[in-house]
Amino acid sequence: MTFLFWILATLSVIGGLGMLLSRKAVHSALWLALTMMCLAVLYVAQSAVFLGTVQVIVYTGAVMMLFLFVLMLIGVSAADSLRESIRGQRPVAVLVAVALGATLIAAVGNALDFSVGLQAANAEYGGNVQGLAALMFGRYLIAFEATAALLITAALGATILAHRERLFPRQDQRTRSVERFRSGVHPGQRPSPGVYARHNAVDVPALLPDGSAVPDSIPGPLRARGTVREIDATATEEVLDRLVGGAASDTGGER
Amino acid sequence: MTPISVVDIDYVALAPVIIVLVAAVIGVLLEAFLPEAARRSGQLLLTGSAVALAFLTVLIVAASRPFGPIAGGSLMLDGPGLFLQGLILLTSGTAILIMADRRVDPGGDAFAGRVSTLPGGEEEREVSRRGLMQTEVWPLMLFCIGGLLLFVTSNDLLTLFIALEILSLPLYLLVGMARRRRLLSQEAALKYFLMGALASAILLFGSALAYAYAGTIEFAGIAERISERTTANTLVIAAVALILVGLLFKIGAVPFGQWVPDVYQGAPTPVTGFMAAAVKVAAVGALLRVLYVPFGGMRWEWEPVLWIVASLTMLIGSLVALAQSDIKRMLAYSSIANAGFILIGVAAADQVGLSSVLFYLLAYSVATLAAFGIVTMVRVPTGEATSLEQWAGIGRRSPLLATAFSLILLSFAGIPLTAGFIAKFGVFTAAITAGALPLVIVGIVASAIAAALYVRIIVRMYFTDPVSASAGVASPSPLTVAGVGLGVALTVILGVFPQPVLNLVEQTSIFVR
Amino acid sequence: MAASLPTAIPWTVLIVLVPLIGAVAVTFLRAPAQQRAARWTAFGASLLALLLAVILAIGFTPAGPGVQYLVSSPWLPALGVSLSFGVTGISLVMVLLTTVLAATVIAAEWRMPVPRGTTQGYLALLLSLEALVLGVFLARDLFVFYVLFEAMLLPVYFLIGRFGGSRRGFAAVKFLVYSLVGGLAMLAALIGLFVESKAAFGRPTFDMTALADMTMSTPTERLIWWGFFLAFAIKAPLVPLHTWLPDAAAESTPGTATMLIGVLDKVGVFGMLVILLPLLPNASVFYAPMVVVLALIGILYGAVLAIGQGDMKRLFAYTSVSHFGFIVLGVFVFTGIAMNGAIFYMVAHGLSTAGLFLVAGYLMSQRGSASISAYGGVSQRAPLLAGLFLVMALSTLALPGLAGFIGEFLVLLGAFQRSVVVGVIATTGIVLAAIYMLWLVQRVMVGPLQPGVDRVREVTVWQAAAVGPLVALLLLLGFFPQTVLSLVEPAAQTTLAGVPAGTAATPSLFGLTGGEQP
Repeated sequence: MTFLFWILATLSVIGGLGMLLSRKAVHSALWLALTMMCLAVLYVAQSAVFLGTVQVIVYTGAVMMLFLFVLMLIGVSAADSLRESIRGQRPVAVLVAVALGATLIAAVGNALDFSVGLQAANAEYGGNVQGLAALMFGRYLIAFEATAALLITAALGATILAHRERLFPRQDQRTRSVERFRSGVHPGQRPSPGVYARHNAVDVPALLPDGSAVPDSIPGPLRARGTVREIDATATEEVLDRLVGGAASDTGGER
Repeated sequence: MTPISVVDIDYVALAPVIIVLVAAVIGVLLEAFLPEAARRSGQLLLTGSAVALAFLTVLIVAASRPFGPIAGGSLMLDGPGLFLQGLILLTSGTAILIMADRRVDPGGDAFAGRVSTLPGGEEEREVSRRGLMQTEVWPLMLFCIGGLLLFVTSNDLLTLFIALEILSLPLYLLVGMARRRRLLSQEAALKYFLMGALASAILLFGSALAYAYAGTIEFAGIAERISERTTANTLVIAAVALILVGLLFKIGAVPFGQWVPDVYQGAPTPVTGFMAAAVKVAAVGALLRVLYVPFGGMRWEWEPVLWIVASLTMLIGSLVALAQSDIKRMLAYSSIANAGFILIGVAAADQVGLSSVLFYLLAYSVATLAAFGIVTMVRVPTGEATSLEQWAGIGRRSPLLATAFSLILLSFAGIPLTAGFIAKFGVFTAAITAGALPLVIVGIVASAIAAALYVRIIVRMYFTDPVSASAGVASPSPLTVAGVGLGVALTVILGVFPQPVLNLVEQTSIFVR
Repeated sequence: MAASLPTAIPWTVLIVLVPLIGAVAVTFLRAPAQQRAARWTAFGASLLALLLAVILAIGFTPAGPGVQYLVSSPWLPALGVSLSFGVTGISLVMVLLTTVLAATVIAAEWRMPVPRGTTQGYLALLLSLEALVLGVFLARDLFVFYVLFEAMLLPVYFLIGRFGGSRRGFAAVKFLVYSLVGGLAMLAALIGLFVESKAAFGRPTFDMTALADMTMSTPTERLIWWGFFLAFAIKAPLVPLHTWLPDAAAESTPGTATMLIGVLDKVGVFGMLVILLPLLPNASVFYAPMVVVLALIGILYGAVLAIGQGDMKRLFAYTSVSHFGFIVLGVFVFTGIAMNGAIFYMVAHGLSTAGLFLVAGYLMSQRGSASISAYGGVSQRAPLLAGLFLVMALSTLALPGLAGFIGEFLVLLGAFQRSVVVGVIATTGIVLAAIYMLWLVQRVMVGPLQPGVDRVREVTVWQAAAVGPLVALLLLLGFFPQTVLSLVEPAAQTTLAGVPAGTAATPSLFGLTGGEQP
């Protein structure tokens, strides 16, 4: 019994430290699972079978898995800033924590007689679960029932913080396209620069069939900078001629 | 093999708690089934009537039920417990009146319309355009009040812990729900949550050690075990220390009250008032019971600690309050200082001390609620005018409000003919009788510092010329007027005719063990 | 002066209530058009209070029991507090002084413009101050005494802070903070007495007469003594706790300053007489040497600083510091003559200081400056004003034939009875008083006409009529001091009888050996 305690105690402390010191959240969670398992075994070893089982099922099984799901879904970046804004806070915190730990260990170790286990208590009501039930539905009925308030509060709080009701009508593809056509802006793709122009360089505007330039076809920054190349009329003529002439002589033509 | 016995529960004696918690559950259902437009009025009606009914029930219970353990021994029905329950319901009712006001802020009540929206985002604007309000606030308040009622009557460490959690969880949420300056409010909530969770864990650890020592978590059992001891046991000392830390955290005593200024500043002002009044009442009540009943036999061990904590709390609270430029932070530090004065009475550790603390709690809580109620009314276009500079010249624009606020500040300062004076006189007297003269001297020095602080604000209100950025005073709804009026009226009445209440606290101030 | 009054009427309460009701009535006459009505109401209330005080004086039996016309009803039984008011010889004199000065101030400031706030507010504050001070003088319950002692800060605070000069905010806060600190020290002492009385009688009591019979252990008595002493020394004010007074007086209106120095500060000495000596006699004897030394320092320090002042109101404040040194000295040398003298001195000082402030107030309101250098040759323009001022100044420097002389002479005589050294040091204060007062008169009233002084006009008939009674009283008391002394003598004897040092003191060189006295 004592032997088991020392092994499990060491393991669970290692688990706790590992959880604190891991850089990755998933590793932390797994270390925590180890600690919880150790605790579960300790409970069982002290005849608290029900508690041990619940510890495994609820904490290790449900809570930890939920935890891992959340970590995977949301993802906690390891790049979170861990810089303290108060200088020297960390060494002081470590020092105080160690001092507190030492004091508590000394206080507890000084006075503790080793546990007697639950055999007597379990025997009184004919079993561990029965004994627990006698307490929960007897002496501590009010405390047990009051935890309902706690759970409802938690659920209500989660709803308040996380639930976002739809304040604006839902946007699907249809509503979006209707809106787009209704708004009066050019609905389709814009011509790219150089189309029907002499060059296909990025600073040469596209031409409309009548030969005028399409200013929108030049990227905005170039327009802002004023480096749009002019379309000189003779060149347009020439292109037109060649297009028209080419169309007459050669169906392949060039653009 | 013993069969499982069914506990006999006196439902009448338990009625105040049951009424409040059942109303809270009904409130949650109302959220689900009432249309948006009817929710607020429905919730208000439910909450108000539940608190009023619970208050009446407390009176009935006090008149009709024999004192002693109820509900299988989880709770204790006795004078201090009932007085504190009544006081919690009184202050909560007042806080609810102030909370229900939707006239001082043109946008609605003091809470964000939808807490889940991003601060400053498109959705938030839409919410305030539509005038939506987060009506879940009311069931949360009821849950919290239920926890407070359990907290002051719990008769074992487990019930104490569960009650602490029931009252804390809604508070963590309520703190983060302010309509204005939402980022500050959310930061406050997170801070309060993290530190509160730590404090709860420490309390729980202490309870576990107490169990390891006594083999029971029932108060009477622990007291019995302690009375049997012949030598000091480190285990039980560690247990008391840790439990004390957990409870002093909620009271906001130095050095465990680091969270108070940030949280009081960030929380919606009516919630701040509620925390400073009802929650502090309950925390002090629980501390009294824990120190007097299970650990009463160890008063020589915990008394010196309490002396130090009380002195530090009074001095640091008053001194740092002097340096504040924000009215809510100033009131927060002032509430820390007041916690120190209350601890003087707690440290007296006898019946006189207990009755003086009960009176102090009454005087302080009604005044502090009114103070925060007044803070909600003094506004600039972007919200409450919390900067002290903006309070310049309020006395000329709104003499009634300035007079009320001055009365409250004078009560905090302990000027005669206000409730605060009788209260301070009571705790000082109790402490001197119990031989705590140094504590009283520190208390008087701290009072002098605090008096300078309050005078400064009165000067600002009356004698400083208004500046261009000065605040205006919003015309409040009758609800706020009633809440603040009640606080101010009680402050004066308890200062001039305290005798009936002094008799009451003297009669009620015996814990049943 | 021995006709007894019907006891069915609570005279001592009535006298407190009259100004209070007057104050409330004045606040209801709020409209600007009702200013005149408000003035008359206030004046009427103060006159009625004066009348009641005179009736009380006629009904008072100096040789009778210590406390007369006692009215008492329980207030806070749990704390042993009852609302009890009664009159003793000492308090009767103070009540007369208070009612006279209040009526004079209201009459003298009849046409004073109120720069901020309203005349009605000013008058209401003055009257409520009068009521509270009267309550302090008449209270026979220590708790009620304390409550009123603290409450009277508020009207003064607003009188200075709202109606005062350019640095009024600073002066008001300084005054309030000093007083609050003193008040808190007194609260501590009060709690100590409460706990002691509970232990001694089995139930708490604050009744002053009962508390006088209580004996305490020496350390407790000394601790409690310090609490009360701090409060009274700040209020009196005794050096080195006097620094609030010059600021407060300089920033006040003349009327406020009159009430402040003429009446309010007397509460400090009054407290020493009715609380420190009867209730804590052993500690008082033990600390008497210290108090006497502080009083001597105050006499010299106040006088020297008064000589150096360039501002008239500050000068008067410092002269008062010097005079309060004399009064406290008279109380703490523990001889019957000195104690009679101290009480008489309070009356004389109240009357003459009131006159100085009010006459100087006329001057300042016309010239618009409190600086002495702005004046000169006023007597050419306003001989009557200068004459009134001179009478007040002469009483202040203790010219025989005026009231100031009797008080100062008795105090010095008593001091010499106790200790030659103390007497000699105190006497130098008289020389300094002659210097500062006569030099002031010379600079302000005579000499070449300063520019700006030609605007100064003579006092009106009304103003002269307001201040005139003060001159008459100073003369009356100067020639017939027995009117006041006969009232206070038995009370002073009773007070001294309780003090271990006793009255039968033999003169000695130092004589102040304190606690070792039999």
